Amino acid sequence: MSDPHAATEDHVSFRMPSHPRYLPLVRSVVAESAELVGFDTDLRTRILLAVTEAVTNVIRHAYGGAEDRPIELEVRASEDELRLDLIDYGRFIDPKHIASRPLEDVRPGGLGVHLIKTTMDRVAYRENAHGGTTLTMVKHVSQPKESS
Amino acid sequence: MKVSQETQGSATLFIVEGQVDMHTSPELRGHLREALGSQASPLVVDLTKVGFIDSSGLATLIEALQAVGKYGGKLRLCGLTPEVRKLFDLAQLSTIFDLRDSRDDACSD
Repeated sequence: MSDPHAATEDHVSFRMPSHPRYLPLVRSVVAESAELVGFDTDLRTRILLAVTEAVTNVIRHAYGGAEDRPIELEVRASEDELRLDLIDYGRFIDPKHIASRPLEDVRPGGLGVHLIKTTMDRVAYRENAHGGTTLTMVKHVSQPKESS
Repeated sequence: MKVSQETQGSATLFIVEGQVDMHTSPELRGHLREALGSQASPLVVDLTKVGFIDSSGLATLIEALQAVGKYGGKLRLCGLTPEVRKLFDLAQLSTIFDLRDSRDDACSD
């Protein structure tokens, strides 16, 4: 078992309320971490979009818009990838049940899951010990997309 | 995010500054709805000072585009930074909107 008191320079985690006013804070942390990994501006922008969509989905779908529930974000930056684990304490939401629309069907909404999947190399949703959802998103440095 | 509204020629111009996301897009939507209610045209949204827009912001602009179309009006966007343009491209919206490089061009009749 790892020592919880050991220094983990590449691992940042924090907990915040499910209020959308914290979205810029999330982007700030993830942007700095993405820069540490070495992603260029284009990829950093895409990663920021993905994490914003993911947190927005938690607020909307796991918490039904409630703004005072806990959300945890763990950010791990290494030399070859950025890993984001987004943890909520709501109900497990199968991503298949989050409305996603064909891009050619232009109308408001339904873009979030698509934007996450097209940006990140690995996207995995699982029910966590709290009964909520842990969403893991990984972006590799110069690696081809993995099929899922 | 900050939204300021001006009139330039016949255009109703919205100058947006900051980040447009789930938290801030309702404010932008409110400004646009007011102009849509009076069937103003063209509506111009200047995104020069917008560094980030998410799907909530894009949805707000899609709503406005569809609403303006119902009364035969026009909605134009201008000043997209490369980062914001990339987000439009990812959502395959770059060809849906009338994107102009300059504010003057967007506000022209």
